[in-house]
Order: sequence, then C-alpha cells, then structure tokens
Amino acid sequence: MTTTLNRPAASSPAPAKPVLTFRQRLSVFDMKASPYLYISPFFILFALVGLFPLGYTFFVSLFDWHLLKGQGEFVGLRNFQEVLQDRFFWNSLFNTMSIFLLSTIPQLIVATAIAAVLDQNLRARTFWRMSILLPYIVTPVAVALIFSNLFGEQYGLINNILESFGMDRILWTNETLPSHIAIATMVNWRWTGYNALILLAAMQSVPRDIYESASIDGAGTFRRFFSITLPSIRPTMIFVVITATIGGLQIFTEPRLFDPRTYGGTAAQFQTTVLYLYEMAFQRSNFGKASTIAWLLFLIIVLFGLMNYLISQRIATTGDGRRPRRSAGSRRRKRSAAPAVVLPAVGPQPPAPTADPDHGAGAAGPSDTNGRNVR
Amino acid sequence: MEYSRLRKITALAGVASLAIVASGCGGGGGSDEAASADNPVTLTVTTFGQFGYDDLYAEYEEQNPGVTIEANNIDGSANARVDAFTKLAAGSGLSDVVAVEEGWLGSIMEVSDQFVDLNEYGAADIKDNWVDWKFEQGTDPEGRVIGLGTDIGPQALCFNRELFDAAGLPTDREEVAELFGGDDATWETYFDLGRQYNEATGKAWYDQSSFVWNSMVNQMDEGYYTADGELNIEGNEAMRAQFDLLAAGTADGLSANQKQFDWGKGKAFVDGSFAVHVCPAWMLGTIKEQLEAAGGGPETGWDVADVFPGGASNWGGAFLSVPESSEHPAEAAKLATWLTDPEQMVKQSAAANNFPSTLEAQQKIVADAVPNELFNDAPYGEIFASRAEGVVAQFKGPQDSEIQENVFAPALKILDSDAGTADEAWNEALQLLNDRVVNN
Repeated sequence: MTTTLNRPAASSPAPAKPVLTFRQRLSVFDMKASPYLYISPFFILFALVGLFPLGYTFFVSLFDWHLLKGQGEFVGLRNFQEVLQDRFFWNSLFNTMSIFLLSTIPQLIVATAIAAVLDQNLRARTFWRMSILLPYIVTPVAVALIFSNLFGEQYGLINNILESFGMDRILWTNETLPSHIAIATMVNWRWTGYNALILLAAMQSVPRDIYESASIDGAGTFRRFFSITLPSIRPTMIFVVITATIGGLQIFTEPRLFDPRTYGGTAAQFQTTVLYLYEMAFQRSNFGKASTIAWLLFLIIVLFGLMNYLISQRIATTGDGRRPRRSAGSRRRKRSAAPAVVLPAVGPQPPAPTADPDHGAGAAGPSDTNGRNVR
Repeated sequence: MEYSRLRKITALAGVASLAIVASGCGGGGGSDEAASADNPVTLTVTTFGQFGYDDLYAEYEEQNPGVTIEANNIDGSANARVDAFTKLAAGSGLSDVVAVEEGWLGSIMEVSDQFVDLNEYGAADIKDNWVDWKFEQGTDPEGRVIGLGTDIGPQALCFNRELFDAAGLPTDREEVAELFGGDDATWETYFDLGRQYNEATGKAWYDQSSFVWNSMVNQMDEGYYTADGELNIEGNEAMRAQFDLLAAGTADGLSANQKQFDWGKGKAFVDGSFAVHVCPAWMLGTIKEQLEAAGGGPETGWDVADVFPGGASNWGGAFLSVPESSEHPAEAAKLATWLTDPEQMVKQSAAANNFPSTLEAQQKIVADAVPNELFNDAPYGEIFASRAEGVVAQFKGPQDSEIQENVFAPALKILDSDAGTADEAWNEALQLLNDRVVNN
C-alpha cells in the first residue's frame, strides 16, 4: 500500500498524499502487526507445550517405546488395538467415570445449596464465604494424607467408630465402591467450596427486585430458588459442569496418594485412567502404550467436550427463546429488569453524534486509519 | 521511542534465554578435576528407605574440603525405582551417586552403559572386600562394575516374646530357634506353629502373605527367572507347592491382612496383630521406624531369632552407582567407594540396622557384638552373620520387582482378604504375569 502511494500521486483522483516517512511507515506496521505480536506468546507457547507434545505423543504411540531403552520398532496401530483389549484400560475408564459421577453430582448439588444459603443476608458474610474456600487452599497431598488416615481399613477413624457401634468394618481400599466413595469424598471436600463460591458470584448478579416482585406475588423461598435463581445462573452452572468434567476425567492425585504403594489399589480397584497411564509409563516402562492411553483419554475428553457444547448450546437457545414467550408473571420481571440492561446501551449514542465517524473509523480496523495519520 | 526500547529489551531477553538454553545443553562434559577448597564440588546422592548415611556425609565433607554433599532420601525402593527410571529416560536429573535396589537392578543392567564402569576408579582392586556374589551382582555381562554393594538382606525370624508367652510358646531366642527346627527349619513347621498359635490366641501369625512369599521365592535356586533369564513361573511345580502351602496357612487365618510397609502407621507392631515377621537385616531398621511412629519401644517384646524356615535366604540389599550423566564421575566414584568401605559400612550398619556386604565389616560387627536394644539386646551381628552363611545369589531378571509387587502381591491379597481360593489366586497371578510382563 505504501508503494502505490509514491509515483501515481499526480494522476490519482484522490488528493495528493505526501510520502510517508520511516517513522510513519513504522507506525503503520505497528498498527497492523502489533496485535498479532501481542497475542503470539500464547500461541507460540501453546504450539510448544500443547500442540507439539500432542503430535509427538501420537508419534510415540505408533512405536514400541521403552522408558529406558528408547524408541523401538514401528508397530502402527497395534498399541491401540492392544490397549482397547486390555481389561485394565476398561477397568480404569469405569473407575474414572464412577469416581467422576460420585464426586461431581453431590458436589454440584451441595455447592448450589451452600451458595443459595450464602446468598441470603447473613451476619459475618465474608467469614462464611472465606470459610467454605478454606479446603481449596489445602494441597491435595495433605488432603490425601488426612483422608487416607480417616479411611484406613484397620486403624482408620471411620472404621473405629463403626466398630465401636458394633458394625462391620468397611474395606475402604480393597473394595471397589467404598474406595470410590472415599476418593470422591476427598475431591468433594476440596472442590465443593470453590464451586459454591463461583455459583454464589453468579447468584449475586441476579437482580434483587425480581425476588422482591416474586415474593409480592406470593412465591415462597423454594419457588424463588427453582424459578428464579436456578434459571438465572444457568451459564455459570454450565461452566462449572464443564470444568468439573475435565477435572474429573483427569483425576490423579487423590487415587495416587490414597494408597501410595500401589497404582490405584492392589487389584486396581481405584485405578483411574491417568493413573493407569502413569503406571504404564513409569512402572511398566512402556511409553508406546502410555502414549496410546494418553491419546485415547484425549479423544474421550474431546467427546465429552462436544457433548457439553451441544447441551449448553441447547440450553442457551432455549433460554433465549423462552424469555419473550413468558406469561404475565414473568413479564413483570422483564419490565423491571429491562431498563437496567437497555439504558446503558442507548445512553452513549445521543450525546455525541458528531464524534461518531471518527470513533467508528478507529474501531473499523487498522487499514482505514492511515487517512487519519496523514492528516 | 517507547516501542524501539521495548524491542531492544525483548531482543536482549531473547539472547539471554538462548544463552541459558545453550549453556544448559552444553553442561554435559564438565571439568573433573579433584575437589579442593579452591575447586569446590557439589555431589548429589539419592538413597531410599533406611540408609543410615547422614553422619557419614558430614564426616566425608570434613575430610574432603571443597566437597559438599546434597543428599536426597526417597521413602521406599518402589518410588526410588520410578525416580531413577524417569530421570534415566529424561537423560538428566540423576544424582551423582544413586542407590539401586537388588529387585530392580535387573532393569538397570539392561541399560548398564548409562552407568560409569567403576573399574576405571579402582573397583577391581577392592573386589575382595565383598562377599563374592554381591560383587558379581553389581557387574554387568561385559564385566563392567556399575554398582558397589552396600548392604545385604540375610533373613532371620523376628518374633514377639510377649505374644509367644501368652500362647504358651517359648520366649528365649535360642529356644525359639530350636522350636522352628534350628538348621532344619521348614515352612511346614512355620505354618504348623502358626496354627497352634492361632488356636491358642485366635490371632494372626504373620502380617500379610507377600513378605512370606517373597522370602520363599528368594531362597529357591531359581526364582521368577531361570539362570538363563527365562520366565520360570508357569508350570513351576516347586513354586506352586510353596504357593499352596502359603495359601493353606492364610486360609487358616494366619495372615493379619496388613498393608505392607504401612502397618497402620506402625500400630500393628504394637497392638499384637501378629507374632512373627520375616526379617531381612534391613527390616530391623524398618520395624524400628514403625515402632517409633506408633510410640512403641523395647517393651513391645520384639526379638530376633537365628533361624529361618527353608534355610538361608537373602532379600534385598542395595548398590551405589554413578550414572554417566554425572558431571563429576571421579569425585562421585570416590565418594561411593568411601561409603562402601568396610569401615564406613560398620557405621552405616549401626545407624540403619542393616547388614554389611563386605567381609571385614561383617567380622567387625560380629566381634563388636553391639546388642540391639530394641530387639531385647539381640546379638545382631552374630545372628545375621550366621544367617548369611549359605546364601546363594539368585539371578534377578529385568522384571523381578514388577513380578513381586504387581503380579504376586495382588494375587496374594486375594488370599489375605479371603476373596478366593489358592487356584483362583494362582490363576490370577498367571493372568497378571501375562498382562503385565509377557505382553507388556
């Protein structure tokens, strides 16, 4: 663009533009290229520590690859075939799903309930809100230490209490379901407060006058919660569900430390997929299969991500579509809520109509701005 | 203006980071001059479990000005294995001196070229210090010495006097040795005495099955592998017979089904959960640690008898190795040689309650006859020297510790927790072997 400005200046119908100085050209370059430069660190880092390992892991999964002896012969998709026939792989998937469900569902229900309680007018609000976040700042290692003492089979606190009431001991590490419950408890203990706080933030942005008008209309506490609070925090709920899903599928620390001498129990009772991957790589020294497991897990997470996406799409569209079609009861809510939303959007336009073109040019993009620079 | 200054800073930062990367990559060689006050050298050492080296490090630093030792101790052999393997795979991060356990020495031998041949630093000259099989274990097939032996694990039998007394069994350690059959002690007697004890008290005899199993396998001529390095489990009648013997004992309630190397944070050694324990020399250090954790002392009644069912057996023991990645191989080899010198081994043995692998140190410990207070003043040196007689080194294959910990331990857990028969447990072991070793 700068080159065309040099010669044909005389024949050009446009008013003659002076030749750009070096600094001006630099400034143009700055305008055009800088935004990309500024966002490039993320993409460079992502390519380096995200994309490359992903590709390389796939490369490794096509080989016999020993931890110590390194790259072996090319085996194509044999590793995938073998892992998919491996009983421990399916066992680990089952364990992961089971722990995921046992942790996420109660966790979200309890977190929502806690958030709803904290959303009320309590005394010493900040104290309560900070308290529920406390478990989150304890490192998972300490959590695992404490809970593996609680859930000890022969000397654990819980079994001691059960025995003192004459009940049978629960085999927390030797039986599948109890071990999953124990691990889910650790996860829940750590994450419930965190999720409650996020949900609380969402609840606080729900306009209070909606609640007021609802209660004037005679809606009780539960009705207000289910008809106002829950629908209003839907997008945040989706966010929480997605992060919990990703975290749940990658669970490692808690099962690893629940019994640090085994890789998820003597008979893999609570071996999750990531733990199985770790064992395959560092105990069984088979990097090829470990990479295969990593890829399969990646595909599963992508699958879950897509499912989440579709569900959230559906929820988002029904959310938008439903509101205008609401009946009289909700129209009042719309009336009270609407001005707060509409006014600021309308506000800035009338005061300065003359400033608009300049403002618009600036926003339209770097290619239109050289006129302003020349002037 | 602001922009170009920023550019300069960015460029500088880029050059600096490149320089860091370059120097990081080029660090492999390193100068290997002898350490002195003018040429300080920092040596890193990684050990595991109870190694008893802390005082020795200080002593070495004092004797060798310029040498600083950074020590790192990992809780147990299994985690030390993962640590060492990960760092070997990464090609960096290994300490200058690395302790290697007998159980995973077989895997290390497969990549023995990644370790310094200690013959270059005079290992051949001191060859005769060690019991011969120990020195041979640390030598690879090409004759390179990659590990200097520290301790060995001759096995004796620990028993609890108080519990024996309560069950009407003798409590004197020599009478106990006789009770088990002295030199002709067999596993049959061991389990029969267990049944007798169980009948008298209703309690378990041993803590869990996998230690007993490990001891049984370790005393066979050929263990999980034949001497030629072939797997030796499927169709091995002798091994199966031992397995059935153990399964029958466990079925009779002789196992306390404890969690190995956990024992309820030591409580099981204090509350009388079990009355005997297989004790390779280093186990005394482990038991000491467990008793301390649970607040127990000599009054808990543990003692050690000069007897072992089925004859002499060795379980475990370690080696010191110097990886090729070390920047100061000569200094590291010097330290490893010093630490495995008989004189230092005696001190290590006193600190860690383990049994030395050099003949001179063994004789010294027997002569000193320092009683072990925690174990009823047992003449520790004499007992283990006697137990070390007749120990034959068994060939350890590359997957030996994997088979012990992840093939047989889970199968034996089925027996311990009464979740299956001997046949089911054995078949599970074969299945696991197939999954984890044969088709890995």
